[in-house]
Amino acid sequence: MSAVLSARGLTKRYGKRTAVDGIDFDIPPGRIVGLIGPNGSGKTTTLKAALGLIDFEGELSVLGFDPRTQRDDLMKDVCFIADVAILPRWLRVKDAIDFVEGVHPRFDRKKAERYVANTKLKPGMKVKEMSKGMIVQLHLALVMAIDAKLLVLDEPTLGLDIIYRKTFYQNLLEDYFDEQKTIVITTHQVEEVEHILTDLMFIRDGRIVLAASMEEIGERYTEVMVPPDKVGAANALAPIDQRTVFGKSVMLFDGVCRQQLGQLGEIRNPSVADLFVATMKGTYA
Amino acid sequence: MKSMKWLLRREIWEHKGAFFWTPLLIAAAMVILMGGGFAYSLAYGNAENIRFEGHDVVSIQGIPQALRYKIAHVAATGYLGTAAPLFIVLAVVVFFYCLSALHDDRRDRSILFWKSLPLSDRDTVLSKVVTALCVAPLITIAISVATSLLLLVVGMIAATGKGLNLFAPVLMEPNLYLSPLYLLAFLPLYILWALPTVGWLLLVSSWAKSKVFLWAVGIPLVTLLLLFWLNFMISPVAPMQIDIDFIGKQIVTRMLGGLFPGAWMSEVDGSRLRQLQDGLDAGVVLGASYRTLANPGVWLGAVAGVAMIFGAIRLRRWRDEG
Repeated sequence: MSAVLSARGLTKRYGKRTAVDGIDFDIPPGRIVGLIGPNGSGKTTTLKAALGLIDFEGELSVLGFDPRTQRDDLMKDVCFIADVAILPRWLRVKDAIDFVEGVHPRFDRKKAERYVANTKLKPGMKVKEMSKGMIVQLHLALVMAIDAKLLVLDEPTLGLDIIYRKTFYQNLLEDYFDEQKTIVITTHQVEEVEHILTDLMFIRDGRIVLAASMEEIGERYTEVMVPPDKVGAANALAPIDQRTVFGKSVMLFDGVCRQQLGQLGEIRNPSVADLFVATMKGTYA
Repeated sequence: MKSMKWLLRREIWEHKGAFFWTPLLIAAAMVILMGGGFAYSLAYGNAENIRFEGHDVVSIQGIPQALRYKIAHVAATGYLGTAAPLFIVLAVVVFFYCLSALHDDRRDRSILFWKSLPLSDRDTVLSKVVTALCVAPLITIAISVATSLLLLVVGMIAATGKGLNLFAPVLMEPNLYLSPLYLLAFLPLYILWALPTVGWLLLVSSWAKSKVFLWAVGIPLVTLLLLFWLNFMISPVAPMQIDIDFIGKQIVTRMLGGLFPGAWMSEVDGSRLRQLQDGLDAGVVLGASYRTLANPGVWLGAVAGVAMIFGAIRLRRWRDEG
């Protein structure tokens, strides 16, 4: 099956500043892709271009549609949560469910009602009476009941406490995701998403600096705890990052044979967060 | 079509207070004040004296038949006039509704929720146009008719208390039943006259980042002032002057005042209305009002209104909400 999302030379300029600088990527169906980068790196701009919210240069095809000209068709198969807590204040829970059922052909009312029943939300409640977490619960109940082929989540858990965040990702994985669906997530909280992602895309200054599946990353990158006496030998293999923990050097290697590294010390898979920090080194410098 | 139904319902959910409760509250206040006035006059007033057309009519032997029918005719024909305050409120409510219609959801970013659903920007904007031009006026018309009828009944009861029984002649008047239809017949004319205002307000609502009211009212007024100043400056040397009177009347009034019910009255041929001696004859006013469509101004205004609505749709489609 062809790519759900494919970009060729995608560029977006705001005046003189280039937010997205000619990026290319393909996202096949059935993947959960984490689009990760520091503030202002172009993540949100990329997603907004894909959702037809802004104009751009280059080519971008989402489910075979051009989001600039075919947005109305595209939105039947795509859903997104752009930000938390953006439901209109006057909306009631029951009206929200009625409305989405009325306008969305792929909405499953029973599913939404089941999600709502598992929360403290009451049908007559207005959004302005809800806590931030409850608004997200309602938004999720609506979005997860939509059988969309592509779900885009831009910082979906920003400002939520840990309990909501955990349940959010749990629901996403257990009730929503399947082989036909694709999810694209951007977030700062890398640690929370790394166990659910199938693919990673690091973006920096409007360019993609790393795009790989989690398996590839596991094969490519290795972290080694190097005891002091072997630091010289380890440095010879050109680690991409290095830090010190309890007197031992923790070094990150890109594309170095694991057997070779095993002789230097204890090896393990690096966390996405460590990989991120190593890749983004100097961004804020 | 199905989406449109839900979009209209959404507007009602959001603006129930403005479109429904506001006129209802004012109607209730009118009934209490006017009805109370009638009841007071009934309880304490001089039963034999009725003021009519500036004369004290003294009835000792009861009211003369002819006068009784005349009063009944005026009451049955003009009773909807008592609801006039509701239509002034409608104009104000719809004015501010249009200003916020495409701005509020951008300000609180809930536009991103609406944009995550399969709703085209065209349908969204059109649903607001229909709400402003049809739904809100129809609600007000319904409340007005009910209020006026209620006041008519209260008034007739009060009159009965003074020995003037109007029930039979009023109920026999065909105008009693036709008046609500006349009122409805004004709606298409109202829509044509209101289109430039609704278009302009929606355009500003879709464009402005903040201070929608200032932009909407300020742009035309400041332009007018600048032109006035320009005229003043060039007047010693230039033979030609900008026709500010024309711009003010034909453009600015249509941009900002089209929602006012009876905006067309400025173009109505006054001589036709002079025949209205027996109270407000809706049929005559209706005819005279529709005759304003013979002037090109209203049509040009409507076309400009549609163009601005189109502009509002384009802006909503491409505006980057950050």
